Amino acid sequence: MTSPAQADTEDVIAPRPQPRRGVSLRDAGPPIALVVIIGIFAVLSSDFRTVGNVQNIMDAAAVLAVATCGISFVLMMGSIDLSVPGVMGASAIAVALLVANNRNGNDLGLLGVLVAILLGAALGCLSGVALVGLKVPSFMTTLGVSAVGLGVATLMFAGVQPNISDEMLRGWAVNRFLGLAYLTWIAMACVLVGWLVQRYSRLGRYAYAIGGAEEVLALSGVKVAPYKVAVFTLAGSFYALAGVMVTSQLSAGLVQAGAGYDFRAITAAVVGGTLLTGGRGGVLHSAVGVLLVTVLINGLVQVGVSPYWQGGVQGLIVVAAVSAAVIPQRRRNQVTK
Amino acid sequence: MKFTSRPTAVVIGLTLAAAALAGCSEEASGGGGGGSEAGACAPEDVTLVGQVRNESNPYEASWLDGGDAFAEQVGLSQQRLTYDGDSTKQQEQITQLLAGDTDCLVMNILPNGDSDTLPIVEGAQEAGAYLVTQWNKPADVDVTDYSQWLSHITYDGVDSGQQIGDALAEAIGGSGGIIALQGILDTGAAKDRFAGLEASLEANPDVELLDQQTANFSRDEALAVTKTLLTKHGDDIKGIWAANDDMALGALAALEQAGRDDVAVVGIDAVPDALTAIEDGTMTATVSSDGPWQGGIGLAIGYCVATGELAADDISDEDRAWFAEQFLITGDNVADFASPAVDEADFECGNLFSRSQGAIS
Repeated sequence: MTSPAQADTEDVIAPRPQPRRGVSLRDAGPPIALVVIIGIFAVLSSDFRTVGNVQNIMDAAAVLAVATCGISFVLMMGSIDLSVPGVMGASAIAVALLVANNRNGNDLGLLGVLVAILLGAALGCLSGVALVGLKVPSFMTTLGVSAVGLGVATLMFAGVQPNISDEMLRGWAVNRFLGLAYLTWIAMACVLVGWLVQRYSRLGRYAYAIGGAEEVLALSGVKVAPYKVAVFTLAGSFYALAGVMVTSQLSAGLVQAGAGYDFRAITAAVVGGTLLTGGRGGVLHSAVGVLLVTVLINGLVQVGVSPYWQGGVQGLIVVAAVSAAVIPQRRRNQVTK
Repeated sequence: MKFTSRPTAVVIGLTLAAAALAGCSEEASGGGGGGSEAGACAPEDVTLVGQVRNESNPYEASWLDGGDAFAEQVGLSQQRLTYDGDSTKQQEQITQLLAGDTDCLVMNILPNGDSDTLPIVEGAQEAGAYLVTQWNKPADVDVTDYSQWLSHITYDGVDSGQQIGDALAEAIGGSGGIIALQGILDTGAAKDRFAGLEASLEANPDVELLDQQTANFSRDEALAVTKTLLTKHGDDIKGIWAANDDMALGALAALEQAGRDDVAVVGIDAVPDALTAIEDGTMTATVSSDGPWQGGIGLAIGYCVATGELAADDISDEDRAWFAEQFLITGDNVADFASPAVDEADFECGNLFSRSQGAIS
């Protein structure tokens, strides 16, 4: 009985910082910030603390959550991904043209959704291949792939807005299960799948390792390149699903479906505690970040902040939240930089 | 001589190719420059260029189609240019155009923003190309200071904002709460249109503006903002005023998801989806600037001056910078606008300024 306790005590006084304590402190920042922000808005606005508004926040977070899920893997690896607008645009238009719509006679239903996601995966794969094959920094390759995606989308768009009449896809945004839209459940499923991949699959664990110390991994005989391509492919599929979800919400395929989602997703991931340098954070962190950002946008409207002030106030709170989140790891940052 | 590495060879090869290409374009531009004698062009020598942001925007695509229709009317073809909303790319395209043969060049341009207009104007002035701009112009720049800048056409945003405001007030029976979705707050269009709504609210004292938010002219953002406002104000909302149709369509999607069909929605721009929504009765009104006409009229003004049918000096100062007529579309007249078409008579040289609602003050 006494020996484990002794071991614990020894750990605490050991010169090296105890890993478990570091983990809990580091991870606590963003959820605490989330709770604090929710608390403040709930006190300030009676409209904010209604069940309807909670549903609204969850529904509004769905698309961003799926996109952020994808980008988390890339960020974990220490790369960056700016291809979100292009991939989302391409898949949004593709799915609109593949399910029942006003432009052509297609009616592929779920298969159409699958094809759109495969298109996103292919674009993601392209980013990854360009990164490892041509050794171009991910910043540039993904920016290029975004342009490719938007180009593909514009070609398919061909001047006439595709509107969908597919009941299943439209139903995802309208129909509700336990008070939440189907899309919100899809987003939650994505976060769960993302977390399982990150936690239990070799792909997820290697993504972490690549972000932490790529050289060490390579020296220990792991071929890094295929995993990098796989991570970008996985991320591309998530963005494509996000694009499909936008199409479902708007009942129309838009080239601009993903406009702004690149930086919104990166912001959400970073606010949630995923480091841009890689090796830290993950899908669950990002999910907290997504909720933080969404609650913030919703709360400022509910409280009644003038739209002329909102942009600036949002930015300030995000910076404050990120600084609060990184205080526990400040020392670690100094070591890595 | 032996190259030390392949990259060196590639670099040298590319340099040579670039030099050769540069030489070619140099030669081509030799004939251009400074030819401002109006009316010197034979009709078949006129080059028509229409430039907008992108063709993935139905309104701007219809603009270029209108340009094609005019070009066909005079037996020419229009060069369709798009710059993806990228100011730098727009300037590059203009520079390239002006480096070519500019004697009989007619350009109908949608500048990306106010600040993009002046470089285009000065380039055209120097090269002697005929220029018509639309929508964006810095207020302190005077069209009459330039001989090649024939005209600047825009629309009175205050007027369109007020027209749909009034239509919305009528649709909700003259009293009740409405919410407003503003455009990108630092654009003139957003400011003017909202000022129009405020004017309409003064004229309809029983209509109450419950809330106003920006959705940056985006369908996606309008969806999220409208959903939030619907939870905030609930059944008090009888109408939604949107500063463009994309946001109005986003608001319609939010209403559908909330299961509300008792809310009137108005927008501006008359995009095809909005017209369909008005036909279906889900949307109340929009305002059309008539994109095809815009695409044709700029080319027509330039063409008439280039061929000498209209002397540049004969264009009165009031017609150098003017507000064009816009049309309120409701369920009553939506059928007339369902298939955008141009009227050849609008582009005849004696008829060019018939849609003027007055000079820009």
